Amino acid sequence: MDESYPSEYGPKWSDQRAGRLLGALVCAVVGLLLALIVTVFIKAWPSFAHNGLAWFGSGGSVEEQLNQIYLSGLSGADYVYTFHGWQLIWSTLLITGGAVLLALFSALFVSVFIVEFAPEWMRDVLQPVVRFLASVPSVIYGLLGVLVIVPFIGNHLVTESQKASVAGVISLSGYSLLAAVLILTVMIAPLMVSIFSDGLRSVRPGWLEGSLALGVNRWRTTWKIAVRTARPAIVAGTVLAVARAIGEAVMLAMVSGSIAFAPNPADGLIFIYEPSRPLAPTIVKNIDSLGSPPSNATLFAIAAVLLFSAAVFSLAGWVARRAMRKYGATA
Amino acid sequence: MRIRTLVISAVALVALAVPASASAVTLIGSGSVAAQPVLQALFSTYTKEVNHKVHFVYTANGGNAGVKDVQNGTSQFAGQARTPLPSDAGTTYIKMFLDGLCIDVNPKNKLKNITIQQTHDIYRGLLTNWSQLPGSGLATTIDPVGRDTNGGTYNFFLQAVLGNELPASNVNALTADGLVVNAVKTDPNAIGYDGLAWQGKGQKALKVNGVPCQADKISVEPLKYPLSRYLFLVLPGDGSGISPALSKFIDWARRDPLAGEVIAKAGGVPAFNKKAKK
Repeated sequence: MDESYPSEYGPKWSDQRAGRLLGALVCAVVGLLLALIVTVFIKAWPSFAHNGLAWFGSGGSVEEQLNQIYLSGLSGADYVYTFHGWQLIWSTLLITGGAVLLALFSALFVSVFIVEFAPEWMRDVLQPVVRFLASVPSVIYGLLGVLVIVPFIGNHLVTESQKASVAGVISLSGYSLLAAVLILTVMIAPLMVSIFSDGLRSVRPGWLEGSLALGVNRWRTTWKIAVRTARPAIVAGTVLAVARAIGEAVMLAMVSGSIAFAPNPADGLIFIYEPSRPLAPTIVKNIDSLGSPPSNATLFAIAAVLLFSAAVFSLAGWVARRAMRKYGATA
Repeated sequence: MRIRTLVISAVALVALAVPASASAVTLIGSGSVAAQPVLQALFSTYTKEVNHKVHFVYTANGGNAGVKDVQNGTSQFAGQARTPLPSDAGTTYIKMFLDGLCIDVNPKNKLKNITIQQTHDIYRGLLTNWSQLPGSGLATTIDPVGRDTNGGTYNFFLQAVLGNELPASNVNALTADGLVVNAVKTDPNAIGYDGLAWQGKGQKALKVNGVPCQADKISVEPLKYPLSRYLFLVLPGDGSGISPALSKFIDWARRDPLAGEVIAKAGGVPAFNKKAKK
């Protein structure tokens, strides 16, 4: 303590400024976040208020509804808000669900391999590669999709009879569920791999050694001890990947087909070639209609649904991680 | 010591952000994506050849967004590819040059000519197989591609071909003209529409109602080619209150023979420019 500084003035400012500054920054960030959520929901309110729960239901073509909403805002008389978003929601569920499932399986095996089985030199190469892949901007994947994957699916996988069977309703030209799911998987799997392998690496060596010493083979030890213990990390990685997949807009706008259409698994295998458009790309596609007040409310309503689902997922992830704390590993 | 470094770098940053010369003028515009290639070419030629002190910043955020920017004063002018709507109140449209919307197919397609009616039927989902269009040499399902609602290309197509009916659900709506070009290039069954500026290798422009999609057919009025249109600059108010630098540029771009050459090279069609003396 500096003796020339009387202690009745409290702690010295120079001792406190770092803490106070950081505290102010945190408050500002939290305030911004709150303001963001409140703004989105206030702007979205007219759309929810007019549609009620039917907003999430099906009925009619979303494309036509969006057009009616837009036109009603230009004339300025009676605003139309009727919107049934099921086609968009179903597309989001299919694409996100498909990609997360595929990525979960492949990422789990890849990270087990990297942590438990790969030789030292391979691990040194794979880890930086995975970290790099996890940070590649999504528009690059979108370009790859448009230039390589989409034409390949359209020209080589889809047959003429399949195209003819749905002619006039939708085009099977390669912009499809399959393309969207494949590219989204490639996009989110590295993120999962890097979090999963951190989790696997933090498993206490003693537990694995104990299992091996009892004569359990390496694969079983990995599967029953390491992977089980790392479950909180697996949940955390999956939640992050789901959040990224749900919010992905640019890449999906480029490859998913961008028609509000609900691919129906009952159609048989053909449904993976069917185009659709999830929620987030719908906002991108309709940016130009923001000038019309009812369109504005509808797009903000879509944004509110995305925000809400992201919040639900991070909450669910937190709950799941808490429940798994007893397994010992932290993430 | 560290604080001094901070201050110096902050000052340096500010100095970098401010334009070097105080007398330079920067004109800020936004709007039409369709008009962008030609406008950018005009801007750079004007800065290089006519007035070094005038610089342009143009954000291609779509025609409707551009008009909004002019209405609320964030842009001094906007590029626009459609004719005025009631929602454009408080702005003035000035005809700058012409553009043609070409209907394109893949080079593997043997079709030479298409009518507006046929195009309408394809994009409304009534014609779905190339065998329904004699001369195409194909018997496959048509893959129509178009633009999404952003920007003037879609609106022009909607008015000129579809009579303001929405395209059918089998039309793939892509986010950019470049993506339409790519789709037509890579898919032998595709048909798409895009501006004259995009014509080149990899896609084949069809004659529309017997008139080829070429600059000399989209000439000054009467507009012979069925899918030709004016591209506009949108100005605030009645257009009289704009900065002198901007009005000088507009006069140059509309009248000067050099500007005419630039427009033609960038894929547009000059409407009012004097012919260059040979």
